[in-house]
Amino acid sequence: MSSKIDSYLLIRALYQPLNAFEQLSRVDPSPAGVMFRYSLWLVILPPLFSLIGASNFGWRLGAAEPLRMTLGSLLIVSAGYLLVLLFGLVSTAIISRWMATTYGANTSIGRHMALMTIVGAPLAFASVAHLFPDVFINVLVLIPTMIWSMYLLYKGIPIALEIPPERGMLMASSLVGWLLVAAVSLLGISMALWTMGFGPLLGV
Amino acid sequence: MTQSSNYYHDKITLRLVQFSVIWAVLAMTAGVYISAELVWPTIDFGQFWLSFGRLRPLHTNGVIFGFGVSALMATAFYSVQRTSHVPLFAPRLAWFCCYAWQLIVLLGGLSLLAGWNSSKEYAELEWPFDIAIAIVWVCFGIVFFGTIATRKIKPIYISNWFYGALIIVIAMLHIVNSLAMPVSIDKSYSLYAGAQDAVVQWWYGHNAVGFLLTGGFLGMIYYFLPKHAERPIWSYRLSVVAFWAFVYSYIWAGPHHLHYNSIPEWVQSLGMAMSVILLAPSWATMINGIMTVSTAWEKLRSDPALKFIVLSLAFYGLATFEGPMMSIRSVNVISHFTDWTIGHVHSGALGWNAMVTYGTFYFMIPRLVDRELYSVRLANIHFWLALAGTMLYVMAMWAAGVSQGLLWLSVDQIGELSFDFKDIMASMTPYYLLRLVAGLIFLGGTVLMAYNLYMTVRGRETARVTVPAVDPAYGVGA
Repeated sequence: MSSKIDSYLLIRALYQPLNAFEQLSRVDPSPAGVMFRYSLWLVILPPLFSLIGASNFGWRLGAAEPLRMTLGSLLIVSAGYLLVLLFGLVSTAIISRWMATTYGANTSIGRHMALMTIVGAPLAFASVAHLFPDVFINVLVLIPTMIWSMYLLYKGIPIALEIPPERGMLMASSLVGWLLVAAVSLLGISMALWTMGFGPLLGV
Repeated sequence: MTQSSNYYHDKITLRLVQFSVIWAVLAMTAGVYISAELVWPTIDFGQFWLSFGRLRPLHTNGVIFGFGVSALMATAFYSVQRTSHVPLFAPRLAWFCCYAWQLIVLLGGLSLLAGWNSSKEYAELEWPFDIAIAIVWVCFGIVFFGTIATRKIKPIYISNWFYGALIIVIAMLHIVNSLAMPVSIDKSYSLYAGAQDAVVQWWYGHNAVGFLLTGGFLGMIYYFLPKHAERPIWSYRLSVVAFWAFVYSYIWAGPHHLHYNSIPEWVQSLGMAMSVILLAPSWATMINGIMTVSTAWEKLRSDPALKFIVLSLAFYGLATFEGPMMSIRSVNVISHFTDWTIGHVHSGALGWNAMVTYGTFYFMIPRLVDRELYSVRLANIHFWLALAGTMLYVMAMWAAGVSQGLLWLSVDQIGELSFDFKDIMASMTPYYLLRLVAGLIFLGGTVLMAYNLYMTVRGRETARVTVPAVDPAYGVGA
């Protein structure tokens, strides 16, 4: 079994996702290889777009005046964003591999990393919306993309991890459970940090 | 024993399911309408009964008491007979519960439209209805516990513990919270004053969520999930431990609705601590469900209903994690009064309650009339509509809620509020539009289900199921 993924896999994943998952099921890549050749470059995109957008225009949350922050705090926020995304990707791949034993799926960690990268790729590209830092535009672009990514997760798991579709459906639902909990934790942690005085100036 | 009492009383179940589906469609339509009013406020056309203030309690009461309680009564009657190996105790009383409950929901709904309102959330119905509810609820208890008392199987299966807790605790909460001094047929004043009234109200309110929308539906999942999967629950011991932990910790959590209000701070902290502890029994149940179904994956091939149950467990996991987190005071200070709360409630109501009920109906109805489901394809379409609707709803409300929390509290360097409340709310229109779309998608799925179930049941009589013989190893007196 080959340990290399085709360089165009990520691009193919955007327009021929099922084909890309088939290809992935034939390779056992090294996790570091996947990380440095693919995942990292994608994960950098959202914080980068957000930094450029927010420093030029300021975030519009709906109110008249955009929320502006100094370049210093924007850099910190973007670095935090990058770390959260990295943590999200790696932890999801690890949890997916942990679940694999329950659902009888392939346990190659590199393949789980690659699968999560392909599933998350549309979101990374769609984060170009951060260049226009208006919350509603971002919600409008990112929610449909998120639904597309969920579709990729449900379709990709059985093909790439070589399990029957019904078992894949169960595993994908369990992962959706984890992702929802992770997302809501992020909201909760952000709010607790704001209350403690990090981030925007709040009268609490 | 007479010949006729050798059959399970399933006609009542079928009738209750039919009422439940009707209420689901009507109450969700009311929900979609009020979400449209938040986008276009003038579509109440100056009619009081079409105003947000009257339609909103109609939506919540219709969903919780019409759709939810009818489904809980139906499944409780269905499962208690089968886990006890006896027909229903006092079947006439069960029929009375079925129709009297529908009458309460119907007339109660009309009274809300007429403007009768006790101003207690989820307990808006005025005193005549409160008395009627208490009577029907006690009758429900007599039928349920009477069936258990006459059971032929010695152990009381775990689903019955949850249904039993639902009946006892809701009776207690409803009667205590509704104590009031009537001044006319349509108006009464609570027996409790000020902050005490608030504490009693949220002791009721949160435990209505706990014992009705969580406990009751857990009873549903503990009976129907193993039935769907055709294997026993993954860990029966865990289910019993989780039950007692759940019952003990839930009852304390109410004060988290009153953070930073005029109730003692220690009461708020206690409510917060018990809410966080509640995560453990909630997740124990979720894990028990997921592990039960994980070994029965091949059933998914033929059973569209199981998908709903699997996904409902994921949303149950989300909602029971989100709730304790939102009860933490440093999170709550920002999230309270924002649309995040509405999103949280709907991740539970749509993702958990409605999905598990839909899955159960798709399982139960074909068996009740002994006929294949009319269309598996429509059920599969319904599944994706329900999932997309719930996700869109939750995401839209998360975005709206975080924006509100942040903007309401933003201050400038001299400590003045940075944004005008009116401007902030005016800017929420796009999110409310997204939520309207989400609601329409979810309602569309529910209508598909109603059609599918109608076509399955049409022209069929309820199948007669004979009470099976009792295995002597489990029989009463064994």
